[in-house]
Amino acid sequence: MNNNEHFDVVIVGAGISGAIMAQELGKNGKSVLILEAGTGTGGRFFSSDCDAPSQENSQPLSSYQTYMSTFFTALAKIPNAPYPNNANAPQPLVTDLAPIPQGQISDNGYFVQTGPLPFASTYTRAEGGTTLHWLGTCLRMLPEDFELKTRFGRGLDWPISYDELRPWYEIAEQNLGVSANANEQNYQQIDNPAVHIPFAASYEYKMEKIPQSYLDQYFSKGLAQMQVSFEGKNYPIDVVSTPQARNGMPRGDYRPVGAVGHETAGQRCAGNSNCVPICPIQAKYNALKTLEQAKKTGKVEIRTQCVAYQLETDEQGKNIARVHYKKYQSSDNPDHQCHAVSGTIVVLASHAVENAKLLLASNVANSSDQVGRNLMDHPTMLTWGLMPTDIGAFRGPGSTSGIPSLRGGEFRKSRAAFRIEIGNWGWSWPEGAPVGTVPDLIDEKNMFGEQLKNYIASVYPRMFRFGFLVEQLPDANNRVTLDDNYRDQLGNYRPVISYNVTDYTRAGMAAAKEVSDQIFQRLGIEGFTEYKPSDAGYLTYRGEGYSYNGAGHLVGTHIMGDNPNTSVVNKYQQSWDHPNLYLVGCGNMPTISTSNPTLTMAALTYWAAQNVLEALNPC
Amino acid sequence: MDKLADFYQVSVVLTGYNRSRLMATGIGEEYFEVLTSLVPGKIIDELFICSRALAHEYKGEALNEKFREQILSNDRLGPVARNILKMWYLSLWYQLPQSWRETYGVPSQTPGKYQDIDFVISENAYIQGLVWPALGSHPMGAKQPGYGTWAFKPGEELTRINLGTDHPVSDIEEGNLS
Ligand SMILES: Cc1cc2nc3c(=O)[nH]c(=O)nc-3n(C[C@H](O)[C@H](O)[C@H](O)COP(=O)(O)OP(=O)(O)OC[C@H]3O[C@@H](n4cnc5c(N)ncnc54)[C@H](O)[C@@H]3O)c2cc1C
Ligand code: SF4
Repeated sequence: MNNNEHFDVVIVGAGISGAIMAQELGKNGKSVLILEAGTGTGGRFFSSDCDAPSQENSQPLSSYQTYMSTFFTALAKIPNAPYPNNANAPQPLVTDLAPIPQGQISDNGYFVQTGPLPFASTYTRAEGGTTLHWLGTCLRMLPEDFELKTRFGRGLDWPISYDELRPWYEIAEQNLGVSANANEQNYQQIDNPAVHIPFAASYEYKMEKIPQSYLDQYFSKGLAQMQVSFEGKNYPIDVVSTPQARNGMPRGDYRPVGAVGHETAGQRCAGNSNCVPICPIQAKYNALKTLEQAKKTGKVEIRTQCVAYQLETDEQGKNIARVHYKKYQSSDNPDHQCHAVSGTIVVLASHAVENAKLLLASNVANSSDQVGRNLMDHPTMLTWGLMPTDIGAFRGPGSTSGIPSLRGGEFRKSRAAFRIEIGNWGWSWPEGAPVGTVPDLIDEKNMFGEQLKNYIASVYPRMFRFGFLVEQLPDANNRVTLDDNYRDQLGNYRPVISYNVTDYTRAGMAAAKEVSDQIFQRLGIEGFTEYKPSDAGYLTYRGEGYSYNGAGHLVGTHIMGDNPNTSVVNKYQQSWDHPNLYLVGCGNMPTISTSNPTLTMAALTYWAAQNVLEALNPC
Repeated sequence: MDKLADFYQVSVVLTGYNRSRLMATGIGEEYFEVLTSLVPGKIIDELFICSRALAHEYKGEALNEKFREQILSNDRLGPVARNILKMWYLSLWYQLPQSWRETYGVPSQTPGKYQDIDFVISENAYIQGLVWPALGSHPMGAKQPGYGTWAFKPGEELTRINLGTDHPVSDIEEGNLS
């Protein structure tokens, strides 16, 4: 065992945040080691400038293709379906979810859930991380989202403003390959100034917006001029295309990184309608693309099947002296060896829950007692129905537009804001259609032959659903803790999660349902929404029942702030307690607001990389 | 009489797709293999003989009515017929109902290639599921229709992959197989 290995930077986690760090530091000549808990992906994909797998890559070329096969033959096509279930680096699954009986603990999956409500989101522990199965929605936050406390007396303020983050958003949008039009995404066309986002005057995204689905266009027409009223004030309903990290038509000489197929064929999204759980042609961004570029710097080494489990401080308890990890040979077998490495700087990029776990297990960076606390998600409420006419459901990327006009406003003093996502895949999320619903047509509705075929042809193309991503505020009791009784087969801790949804968010869900009802009325949509007490995410507000799902947006387990007593990292994303420790990922975000968090987190990570670089090169 | 031809005959009535469309999936023989390894030969023969006789005698709606009466509502044949239908549409084998298994099932003594549990028949089968063309789209994750096609009015996709038009079941295919 060689415990003297040293790198400029040791990064824990080969997901998007770790990949960005590695690429930025490697490009600037720093030696970087990434420890990745999960298995590798081998020869990753063909890109315009990488037509062959690199020599040193010992794994077979077909790993990504293996993910595809696993997906095709998986019974439950859940987000983690294509990716290996690895008992040495276990991951949460949506199929683990169930209501938690009062006073009991639910521990049938990787998470140990103490309730009272189940935490419904998941992530992936394999090289590339959770962006392997993300949808790729890349919204910026609103300026007011950075100042919730000051403006609305709710949640927390960020230690930075939108204006400070703006240049980093631009870098993230360029490097992830976001397709959109700036003159739509600044929301200036929306008659609600609270949601306006100032973009730099000359700024444009590198690829044109992804075409809006036929369903989106149908909504745009049908909802033109629609308004809803909250607390006596009118707000517009505007359908706007969603910025997506998915290859569209490049502007100028920009070329997106990596997709299967030759550059001249566009490498664009081809409408496989499978972005979650896996894009077969990698037209959707995933972190493998950034990892590939990081490796090309020649300065970055990625060690897969290496689970970091402890950070050891120097004798003064000041700096992180060593990162301890367990290297296993096979995911079926717990046999492993323990190693340690050191880095001038250590970066944790292992995902919000895993970062918190590692800090708690090591008893570091927690003088504020905030590590693991303030866990947030977007409780996502669905409504679904049949459109009066064929809108061509089950086509295109998962979502190409949304209704962002209610993301901000004075109502945030009293209840949560939300963004509405328009889903292109019929009832696949709420009902598992078509594979989950057709058996009922055969077994219970007793259809067969022409009748069955015609029924499917006349009903399924009219299916649609909304997703309401409702904001949640930081709450010290929504938290990840550790318990010696709960460990995985390598002996590492499993996350113990307590979680609840406050009335502020429940009131947002109720307002969302009202908006949905009005839209259904206006367009003559036949509603099929049903919230059942047996749903894992069932809750009530003022006597009405609602159900939420996980969005996969795990935020806030090691929040940043400007006070070491109430936050874990400073605005530079550096631990208040240990100067050579940086944390990256959505765990840094003090509030979640209404945008999917990864673009903001990526922007923050580019900034953090700059800060690490400056720390390594003091002038 | 070729049993595979019988299998297609019963499949045409069950699925509402004609025989050439079913054969074009290239997956029928695999479904047939799954069926014959999980359901006793006697029951399969009974199903095939019954279906062939009905199709010989009845056409159109009358055939459907008789098919319901003699096959779908029969406690021995109904679950098997529905499983064939589900294979074609969803590419899945569903475990046969408990009561059927207790009465008619033959427990496999040795682990064979297939077991009577829920499973996806194969990667290729998933891609060939008939539910996708029935709902006017492509299987999620395969047969990509091309950039921007989702913006078109349904049915207008220029680049849509079409494996052949789905004509209504013809009398000839229903009745005269031999
Ligand atoms: C279904 C779904 C859809 C989503 N869609 C969107 C979307 O449209 N837009 C959006 O903004 N966000 C979306 N997200 C969220 C997004 O995927 C995450 O925010 C993002 O991937 C987080 O990046 P990360 O680098 O922090 O963590 P990850 O991407 O999870 O990467 C962490 C890496 O660290 C590794 N690791 C974990 N523990 C250890 C350890 N102990 N030692 C070593 N390595 C370790 C993991 O294996 C993994 O490779 C979605 C999430 C889900 C689940
Ligand atoms: S729609 Fe298809 S091709 Fe496009 S990103 Fe999603 S999975 Fe990939």
